[in-house]
Amino acid sequence: MHELSIALEILDIVEKEAVKHGAAVVRQVHLRVGDLSGVETGSLAFSFDAVKGEKDLTRHAVLAIEHLPVKIRCAPCNEVFAGTGHMVICPQCEGFETELLQGEELEIGEIEID
Amino acid sequence: MEKIKLERKVLSRNDLLAAELRSLFERENVAVMNMVSSPGSGKTSLLEKTLGSLSRKLSIGVIEGDIQTDNDAARIAKTGAPVHQIQTGGACHLEAEMVRKALTHFRLEDLDLLIIENVGNLVCPSAFDLGEGLRVVVISTTEGDDKPMKYPAMFRSAHVMVINKMDLLPHTDFDIEKAINHARSLNPDIKILNTSCRTGEGLDEWSELVTAFVHENV
Repeated sequence: MHELSIALEILDIVEKEAVKHGAAVVRQVHLRVGDLSGVETGSLAFSFDAVKGEKDLTRHAVLAIEHLPVKIRCAPCNEVFAGTGHMVICPQCEGFETELLQGEELEIGEIEID
Repeated sequence: MEKIKLERKVLSRNDLLAAELRSLFERENVAVMNMVSSPGSGKTSLLEKTLGSLSRKLSIGVIEGDIQTDNDAARIAKTGAPVHQIQTGGACHLEAEMVRKALTHFRLEDLDLLIIENVGNLVCPSAFDLGEGLRVVVISTTEGDDKPMKYPAMFRSAHVMVINKMDLLPHTDFDIEKAINHARSLNPDIKILNTSCRTGEGLDEWSELVTAFVHENV
């Protein structure tokens, strides 16, 4: 359960950015979460809603989560594949010489303010 | 309505502090190892064995992380190694800030190796960089061999996987090959060692691995 500290961190970053832009209110926070990030998004959304009221600016913020599936490149096959679940093994040659292109993200893409 | 592009990694405060710790450790020539596992995999026993075999050659300090009690720190203190206990008081993982505070209890310039025993948990500690150079995940043959599959983030972030309690293997249904294949399919570069703290199996290789890590860093 580290989703609560992540939610607090997101609110912190968002609040600072909103203040910098002279926002009256934050409407939406767009978050990208990779399937390998280790974050449980249901629990993160719950935590976010539980603590967003602590700051006036974020009281009405909606957390929009975009899931990023695992994407790998297999060097011997020279092809890009969708990973199977959390696996980074090549689905074609079953080799381990793969490079992770996507799946470990935990980042705020953009915020919407008024 | 205005849209502001941020493109910012979250957890940046912990990551930033961890990066500071990492450069502090480099300046002080201390190799730092973060040990993670589920509860009861034998992490503290492995640590006792490590101190037993390496403390004559290396100066080793230990940070113990637990939710409650200083039982583990008391076990480690018996080996003579300087030890500091962090009681997280409910938090299920250590964060870089907790480690930074704990460092005031050590003379870093006197240490070759600092071992951080994280809270027994395979989920949350994976997301918190502590500035370590080596992350070791310990599992044991009395657990499910699907641990890597169930906790992929941890096994992806670890450099080494130790499979402990090899002496009990004949009494369990633990499938070593399956566990290793699963770990490799998540993390192709992970090093794997099989150990038993009771019979001593694999402990020489383990000590060699830790020693090599310290010499690479110091």
